[in-house]
Amino acid sequence: MFFRTTHYAPRTRQSDTQMTTSLVSVQSLVKHYGGVVALDGMSLDVERGTIHAVAGENGAGKSTLMKILAGVVRQDSGTIHFDGQKVTFDSPNAARQHGIGIVYQELSLFPERSVLANLFVNREPTRYGFVSRQLMREKSAPILEQLGLHVDVDAPVSLLTIGERQLVELCRVLLEAPRLLILDEPNSALNERETARLFAVLRGLRERGITMLYVSHRLEEVFSIADQVTVCRNGREVFTRGISETSIREVIEGMIGGRQESLFPPPLPQAAGHPEKRLVVRGLSSAALQDISFEARTGEIVGLAGLEGSGVSDLLGILFGMSRAKQGEFIYPDGGGIPHNPTQAARRGVCLVPADRRRNGLMLEKSLVDNIAQVAVGALRTRQVWLRRDQLLASAERQIHNLHIKTRSPYHLANQLSGGNQQKVVIGKWLEVAPDVVLLDDPTRGVDVGAKREIYLLIRQLSAEGRVVLFSSTELPELIGLCDRILVLYRGRLAGELAREAITEHNLLHMINTGEMT
Amino acid sequence: MSDSPSATASPSPSTARRRFQLPDEIGVIGALLAMVIVIGIARPEFLNPLNLLRLFGNTAFYGMIALAMVFLLAIREIDLSVGWMFNFSAVITATLMVNGIDPWLAAGGGVVFGALLGLFNGTLAVGLNLPNIIVTLGTFSMFRGLALVVNQSRAVVPPDEVMTSSFFTFATTRLFGAIPMVAVVFLIMAIALHLVLHRTRYGYRVQAIGSNPEAARLAGIPVPWVRLQTIILIGAVCGLSGALFVGFRGAIDPTSGQDFALTVIAAAIIGGTPLSGGWGTVIGAVIGVLIIAVISSGIIFFGIDQTWSTFVTGAVTVLAVVLDQVIKRQRSKRLQQ
Repeated sequence: MFFRTTHYAPRTRQSDTQMTTSLVSVQSLVKHYGGVVALDGMSLDVERGTIHAVAGENGAGKSTLMKILAGVVRQDSGTIHFDGQKVTFDSPNAARQHGIGIVYQELSLFPERSVLANLFVNREPTRYGFVSRQLMREKSAPILEQLGLHVDVDAPVSLLTIGERQLVELCRVLLEAPRLLILDEPNSALNERETARLFAVLRGLRERGITMLYVSHRLEEVFSIADQVTVCRNGREVFTRGISETSIREVIEGMIGGRQESLFPPPLPQAAGHPEKRLVVRGLSSAALQDISFEARTGEIVGLAGLEGSGVSDLLGILFGMSRAKQGEFIYPDGGGIPHNPTQAARRGVCLVPADRRRNGLMLEKSLVDNIAQVAVGALRTRQVWLRRDQLLASAERQIHNLHIKTRSPYHLANQLSGGNQQKVVIGKWLEVAPDVVLLDDPTRGVDVGAKREIYLLIRQLSAEGRVVLFSSTELPELIGLCDRILVLYRGRLAGELAREAITEHNLLHMINTGEMT
Repeated sequence: MSDSPSATASPSPSTARRRFQLPDEIGVIGALLAMVIVIGIARPEFLNPLNLLRLFGNTAFYGMIALAMVFLLAIREIDLSVGWMFNFSAVITATLMVNGIDPWLAAGGGVVFGALLGLFNGTLAVGLNLPNIIVTLGTFSMFRGLALVVNQSRAVVPPDEVMTSSFFTFATTRLFGAIPMVAVVFLIMAIALHLVLHRTRYGYRVQAIGSNPEAARLAGIPVPWVRLQTIILIGAVCGLSGALFVGFRGAIDPTSGQDFALTVIAAAIIGGTPLSGGWGTVIGAVIGVLIIAVISSGIIFFGIDQTWSTFVTGAVTVLAVVLDQVIKRQRSKRLQQ
């Protein structure tokens, strides 16, 4: 059985007698952070037993709303009714006691501890006064089974893939048997197969009467899973509709307001005067990869597709010198072979925009000026010993201007920016050194629609400026919308290549899941 | 939240200029002045400039090391072996003098020797990818033990005939008859290391690695090399401090420097350098050193048992950490989005 259903039956019956159909009703919620308005009269009604999606750009107030519902932050004004009662949560525990569970976008697991230990943090079941791993196993097994998470529960979480960790996180919340389950971008790290599994689980939960609030940037998925969608912009509700009464186009329009441009910009004309460059890989093998051969030239955007664990990230890491290849021949645009470490890569004009920008791309407590200087000052070899503050400021202003980074001052901390703007900073620090080879590892993960579009345009520009661009993504529409060719990896092998007309969602989906051409 | 294209589209110099801010060290400077004034009101003789200058001179030896410790904290490292790198280098310097080497050369040898001890620590830390605090937990005793072998557990005293060397005159002289030369060296180093940390590419790299080591590596910063340089730096500074100490005191005891590590780390922390890395203040460390010195000196002036000074120094360190945390929490509350 999935849940301790006995706990649920009375609650459900009780709720049937209620007059309202809303489990959660939020009215005129206002929240300021200093001078910044995060919520500006937000309203939301969530019906019982539905999956209710909340869509909006970063900064639209979604996360703040979820945090208030989960008791992490308190509103300045406005009311929340939960199950017909007016409630105020002054701590996450208070929200939890009401039966509100939240799965965060950013993982909150203890990487060095086992899966079991993570599932029962602070709620370890005991037998004879001792923590019982046996009980933990028994309690978690059905839910793990349901989630399709077949991992060694005694292994440390750090050995799991990001996708598996996300499922562990979900399992942990499900163990608390929540009545309202808040999912804040639960699948931002999941591949298509894991996402499909997650959705099957969510549908199962809905059948058991659990209400869900679902925040996601992937609108296609919102439309495949949700019953209702609330679109918000600038801290307010724009509209709430049944999913069958609206369309992706309408939702996007609601999210971005007046702007109506197609999501994927068309190819830009190739800038003149750049010699053709190419990156050649022949017979690359490593611990995770077998016999990969391909070529990428300037003037094309080459996509890399594959499930979690297929080797896409490993490939990009090896090309950037982060880990060693066992064998293989490499020719980089500068004529040299593979760089031996990231420092060498940076000095030779190879750049990697990593998947996890907060952990691997940014100095969160440092200013934009410092962040944008990171490669030019930190990695390149020059004779200049002293820092020139005016040069650093000029670089930062140049990138802020070119990439449309939204900030009031170049001296603001990276932490203060929204996800999309943070990603632009990571890209900007590399643009300062004008790389020849640009490796992008899922650069739009957790980025709002508006910023995504800007990043797409940027990728087009990078290509048009005569750079070799390799682009991986966990979102297939992105690959389809941007790439001239897509290399598909399956279990460490190059399963094949899709070019122009053959690039369809169907072909791509089939290939990344089976490793075979259609 | 609101779209404000004007603020970003045209980066005019006026929006870009950093708002005027009080220096981060203003808090500790205020604390130091307050302490000096309070003690001075109760015991006016404390304020005698000669007394204050002597106080300053006495702090120079571990003070210099505190300056270098700021670099280690900024790169997310700690060095526990500083006291014995100091002592061992001083013993080597004095032993060289005993063996007839020119004192200036011997002092240079002490600096180089300190750098070599740092190189030893650094090679282990970088080569085995271990935190330097773990490595120096062990080398702490190794250096101490070797120093005791070399000095045969006795003070090493350079013979009288070399004491006439200009090196000893230099180390013990007072500028304008008042300011101890070692204090001058300490101040010059403070200014130099402040500039190195905040105005050079090396200093930038140190802070970048401390801010986020993984991001630094992925940005192509040569992390192992910068770590090694930093651990060597503190070794060399310990060597310099040890060599000057021999010149200043004319001898090195087997126990000198034994309690440096914790005092030096405390001074850096009191000065405002966070343990979490990514940033540091050399000027703050100077103030931190002075605060510790004023406390122990003030205790003497008040006639309190000297043993209390250790307790008070510890209490001030805890207070500094608490204040730092409170300030940080308030700042992040303001920034939270």
